[in-house]
Amino acid sequence: MLIEPPAEGLYDELFDSDNRVRPHCRMLEQWLIHSDEDLIAEKRREADVLFQRLGITFNAYGEEQGADRLIPFDLIPRVISAADWQKLQAGLRQRVQALNRFLFDIYHDYDIVRAGVISAEQVFANPQYQPGMQQMKLPRNLYAHIAGIDLIRHNDGDFYVLEDNLRCPSGVSYMLENRRMMMRLFPELFAQTPVAPVDHYPNLLGETLRAASLKPDPTVVVLTPGRFNSAYFEHAFLARQMGVELVEGPDLFVRDNRVFMKTTIGPQQVDVIYRRIDDDFLDPLAGNPDSLLGVPGLYAAYRSGHVVLANAMGTGVADDKSIYPYVPDMIRFYLNEEPILKNVPTWQCRKEKDLQYVLEHLEELVVKEAQGAGGYGMLIGPKASRKELATFRALLKAKPENYIAQPTLSLSTCPTFVNDGIAPRHLDLRPFVLSGKKIQMVPGGLTRVALKEGSLVVNSSQGGGTKDTWVLEDDRC
Amino acid sequence: MLSRAAASLFWMARYLERMEIQARLLDVSLTMALIDVPEDREEQLSVPLLVSGTRDQFWQFHDEVTPQRLIDFLLLDDRHDASVFSMMRHARDNALHVRGNLSSDVWESINRTWLELKDLSRRGVRESNASSVFDWVRERSHTFRGAVYGTLLRNDAFHFLRLGTFIERADTTARVLDIRHVMATQSMAEHSTRSFFEWTALLHSLAAFEAYQNTYGHNLEPMNVAELLVLSADVPRSLHSCLKEISSLLEQVESGRAQRARRLASSLYANIRYGDRDYIAERGLHSYLVDFLGRIQHIADQIQKDYTGW
Repeated sequence: MLIEPPAEGLYDELFDSDNRVRPHCRMLEQWLIHSDEDLIAEKRREADVLFQRLGITFNAYGEEQGADRLIPFDLIPRVISAADWQKLQAGLRQRVQALNRFLFDIYHDYDIVRAGVISAEQVFANPQYQPGMQQMKLPRNLYAHIAGIDLIRHNDGDFYVLEDNLRCPSGVSYMLENRRMMMRLFPELFAQTPVAPVDHYPNLLGETLRAASLKPDPTVVVLTPGRFNSAYFEHAFLARQMGVELVEGPDLFVRDNRVFMKTTIGPQQVDVIYRRIDDDFLDPLAGNPDSLLGVPGLYAAYRSGHVVLANAMGTGVADDKSIYPYVPDMIRFYLNEEPILKNVPTWQCRKEKDLQYVLEHLEELVVKEAQGAGGYGMLIGPKASRKELATFRALLKAKPENYIAQPTLSLSTCPTFVNDGIAPRHLDLRPFVLSGKKIQMVPGGLTRVALKEGSLVVNSSQGGGTKDTWVLEDDRC
Repeated sequence: MLSRAAASLFWMARYLERMEIQARLLDVSLTMALIDVPEDREEQLSVPLLVSGTRDQFWQFHDEVTPQRLIDFLLLDDRHDASVFSMMRHARDNALHVRGNLSSDVWESINRTWLELKDLSRRGVRESNASSVFDWVRERSHTFRGAVYGTLLRNDAFHFLRLGTFIERADTTARVLDIRHVMATQSMAEHSTRSFFEWTALLHSLAAFEAYQNTYGHNLEPMNVAELLVLSADVPRSLHSCLKEISSLLEQVESGRAQRARRLASSLYANIRYGDRDYIAERGLHSYLVDFLGRIQHIADQIQKDYTGW
């Protein structure tokens, strides 16, 4: 099949700037060139049917419930060289370690604030800061047991961290199912390529969750908001793979500051809750009183130390976009090391000078809400209409502290199946980092791809798709 | 296991069992309606409505009962809970709830049935292709059962799922037997040539026609039929078989909480196991079955109370 060459000035994962295939991707290119169009079309249909049958679907918000949409899956894998992964892994480890140190600090000693690295206002007045977590002792001083770090590759060939997700990062089930699907559809590819396995992720996750408690053999559960949640499939998938119960709020109750689940043999105490519910909905007595998803009394039980939440409450302050610019400083402050992974330069509109720059250069910048997620409520300057620019200008002036701005990055591209052949599309990468007795991750992550030509938004709620992510064990092939 | 999961597995299995019997009853009724004289046709077509307790609902939506209308109502109508479509939706909803307790094979068999059924409902079912749809329902039911037997861990998930199956089966066998036995006995009294078909319709509805022939030969005797479907330990859908399974499953469930349900089930099982046809004949099959239906309902309620009612 014919492959449309990448656009000039962008980094492509398969081809270099002279349009030659990168050495570690030679195998993949040969496979694409020699693949028959009809066969590929058939495999694509087969993948769709299999995903439907497995029930790997999601509900996009604002659509009829139970609409069961599939996230489009692209058959061309995204390949990361062993050398690149080495560096990524070291960088991710460093970053997550610093973020956990930061969370411990801002709920205990406030060293970083005292040292003047971050202003007190930005930490303590942050809506995600949980004063109730102050001085609370957590096993191993861990807050973000599971972190999903969003990265992109810029046209200089370097990876940049776009966002740290430290609350309930999702998408790991797609990483696992995409791999399973590729191995099923194209076993011959794996026979010829040294792709590092990812299938042991649920084992590592189980290990991490058990290590979150100091009890010798703790009972772990996964807490889900229920089957209408967009990530329900993933919650059920992980519970099953780890061999633990998948519970909803009403399955749990609190007595004497201990959490129990209602089972057929009576109450059974729960030690670790891998919760996929936001802080505010966990306990109607402490957070949102209208929440039917949570467990009354859970917060008090948590405070008394009889149950561990993963991730901890109050981690949101560290993945907030207004704290993001300080992560490199955190790494220097806590670890005394230079950051391995780059941050995207960020203008904080709360600062007058930054705001002025942003307003003057709005056409070139990406503006995001400091609290936003899911690709909603953002402005991509170069692609925005005049009206959109005017709207954002007004928003920025009215509430500057709600926004940050970044240069429009040229996300790297990768050949992707489109309606009329194979064309380059933009993508990002979300590896999952687990912190327990030690920091662990599987080689790879979730690759999201913007399927619309030229689009930079990869979120599944906005028409993004996914790819299998291959980390090579050896680049000489 | 979680109480909620136990309840979901129980109901998931009940819906799937109900769906299979629904397809069997419809199939038999449509065939009988072809044989019958026009004035008896309505009675034949009403059997699946009577068994599922939806006759009044049917007449809310329709002003006459024809094969096509019955197919529309009992296969794909999503306005009430007794159609195959609605039952499958409930079954899959429950399955989604307990995905963590199901093997991939069991989940995929249920999910696939649902996807194919949705497809079928877009295309619609005509009288002419209804038979192949009934075959499909039965096959999907077999696949589900096979996946359960072949891949599910023998733990409480398995026990509650099977309890749902047999409670439902005991209940429907008793209802079908009650309704169709009366019809067949009547046709015999009228010395109608139809009586042969009436008896075979009853046996086919419960997948017991071949079993009858193996056991009693060709002669269709009302008390033989009753004996086979109530007392025989060898017929998979007989009340005896169902109660044997129910009481053995309740013994295997891991918990001391269920003494009440166990007692009720063992006592009913003993009644049937040591029962004889003369007693049934003396008491009258109808009265016997009405009593049975009350007791099976009681057991089902008690199971829910013992394991999930808190």
